[in-house]
Amino acid sequence: MPKQIAIYGKGGIGKSSTASNVAAACADEGYRVTIIGCDPKSDSSITLLSGRRIPTIMDLMREGMDIKEEDIVFNGYKGVKCVEIGGPEPGIGCAGRGIIVAISLLKKISKAIEDTDLVIYDVPGDIVCGGFVAPVKKGLVNEAYVLTSGEYMPLYAANNICKGLSRLEMTLNGVICNSRGAPNEENIVSEFAKEIGSQLLAFIPKDVLVQTCEREGFSVIEKAPASNISGVYRKLARSIMTRNEGKIPVPLDDIRLRELTKI
Amino acid sequence: MPVKKEKEPLIMHPRPSSIVAALYTLRDLDTDVVILHGPPGCSFKHARLLEEDGMRVVTTSLDESGFVFGGHDALVEVLEKVIERFNPKRIGIVGTCASMIIGEELHEAVTEVQPDVPVIEVEVHAGYRDNTKGVIMALESALACGIISEAEFERQKALLKEATMVEKRHGAASKEYLEPSRGDLKYKVAERLLELIKQGKKGLNILNAKKETAFMFADINLAVAEVAEKLGKSSNIINMANLDENVGLPKNRRNAREILDDLQKKDMEIHHIIGGLDEYPVAGNNASQIIGEKYPDFDFAVITGVPHALPMDNIKNMELFSITNGPRQVVPLKEMGHKHVVVEIDLHPKTLGVNHIVESEFGATLREMAKNA
Ligand SMILES: Nc1ncnc2c1ncn2[C@@H]1O[C@H](COP(=O)(O)OP(=O)(O)OP(=O)(O)O)[C@@H](O)[C@H]1O
Ligand code: SF4
Ligand SMILES: [Mg+2]
Repeated sequence: MPKQIAIYGKGGIGKSSTASNVAAACADEGYRVTIIGCDPKSDSSITLLSGRRIPTIMDLMREGMDIKEEDIVFNGYKGVKCVEIGGPEPGIGCAGRGIIVAISLLKKISKAIEDTDLVIYDVPGDIVCGGFVAPVKKGLVNEAYVLTSGEYMPLYAANNICKGLSRLEMTLNGVICNSRGAPNEENIVSEFAKEIGSQLLAFIPKDVLVQTCEREGFSVIEKAPASNISGVYRKLARSIMTRNEGKIPVPLDDIRLRELTKI
Repeated sequence: MPVKKEKEPLIMHPRPSSIVAALYTLRDLDTDVVILHGPPGCSFKHARLLEEDGMRVVTTSLDESGFVFGGHDALVEVLEKVIERFNPKRIGIVGTCASMIIGEELHEAVTEVQPDVPVIEVEVHAGYRDNTKGVIMALESALACGIISEAEFERQKALLKEATMVEKRHGAASKEYLEPSRGDLKYKVAERLLELIKQGKKGLNILNAKKETAFMFADINLAVAEVAEKLGKSSNIINMANLDENVGLPKNRRNAREILDDLQKKDMEIHHIIGGLDEYPVAGNNASQIIGEKYPDFDFAVITGVPHALPMDNIKNMELFSITNGPRQVVPLKEMGHKHVVVEIDLHPKTLGVNHIVESEFGATLREMAKNA
């Protein structure tokens, strides 16, 4: 059974960049990796495909296509299998239902989420409705990670996600800090992780390389393999692949959360 | 490159719902209580009718706030209440459009409550083109629970595929819009039928009905046999029926036996069994083959139930009397070449909760008119 993970965190905090860099780093190590973009804006796999946009499951469904595996599963960097679910135009229809339908279709027509070593579900920042938790509810996710910086709002979002996870009785397998350059950031996130019953897995520095590579359509692993930040992603990837202890998180109350960001 | 699916033609008239189809299938599987996870009015009429058949149907009554906040707690509560109040041996949970769109997981409630009887979960909504989808989904769950065998599942699936084709060819899915019709006047059709029998014409008397509807359709075939007997012409009539008691889900077998018993008591002999009560989509082919081999030169045929499932090849030169319960089936049957089409309005509700043949209007008309014949 493959490792099936989802990375949660506040909108815009860096989930998709982290997911694609971890995917690339695992592929470098020889693992078979599948990445499923569950965000209607379908930007999860673009840096694994040299900037190419692939048709999404929802695009094909809208056009009334008879969807087969080869129409939706694409090989990216070092054979990483990339799938984008996509969704309706913003403000129309029901994107959550789209995820439910796409996940069951994918299960039916493709082995990409079974015959592999790692599946990463890249979910949007705001879990707006039941549909976006479909991968978890359908038992397709067995490990969850939370990505946050040391600022108050991202931590607040991370804490809320922990509330959600404990409600779903889903374990948290680690906290990842994506730095935004806040003072004392590593300590704050590390303390947060400890207090919710988890641990800090990686401290990813803020590095403009992420953005320059992204602009050209690549992960830093592919475009700047020797960089310091690539080393950080590699280490994170290794610890995701080798550890598997998780615990149902215990969210903090708001007063404690505010105190934390001041240490 | 992905290939475009052929666009299904538009059909505008409302058609049977997959949710309701799942409910009837659960009934056939001898489920004691079914919980509809959705709005209180969903499938109301059928839910009510099914209670006549001894299966309880309850609802989680999702309201506006349930749509917004989810209905998990409501489902858990109803499931617990159902177990406590009805002590069921087999439970069903059926989805609806509302609960499926918001991503409710029926299984979560089952995991939480841990009932010690089997629970058949059907994640169905009413948005499928063919209602047979609801049947297949219910059977898939029943298979997963070990309630039916793989062989029975495959058998049913093949039949349902055929049923869908029958509807596409000449049934409810055959046209963009089908005008409902009351069909021909019963006494006029009965008059003509009696005339043919009296003249000593040779006739086929075929029952090809869907499941419990046979309780009433069989009454028509019985009436035909009775009046032929009364007129001393019974040797001119050949009776066929899809009343094989050895195939299908338990309820279908039971019903076939009950109808056969009733017919036997009235001395009606069935010359050919053409299939079981769930085999109406294919039994017509069996009948057609028998007709081709043995009765190609018969003068008329009375076909009750699902007359449009009988291929026209071997009966096209006969004068056809068909009796259906679908007002939208009249136009397609006429177009196929059935000369007389009679509708038994509201037949289905009268065949729920019964275990004997139920009197039909056309049967009664025929018997009454034969008195003066
Ligand atoms: N460590 C980093 N250093 C510098 N820039 C980063 C870093 N991580 C992410 N970014 C940049 O931040 C932006 C947002 O990242 P990304 O799209 O991965 O966020 P996200 O959490 O997936 O957002 P959403 O919730 O909208 O899906 C991107 O332009 C990305 O390049
Ligand atoms: S729309 Fe769907 S859920 Fe609502 S009443 Fe009709 S069948 Fe039921
Ligand atoms: Mg993203």
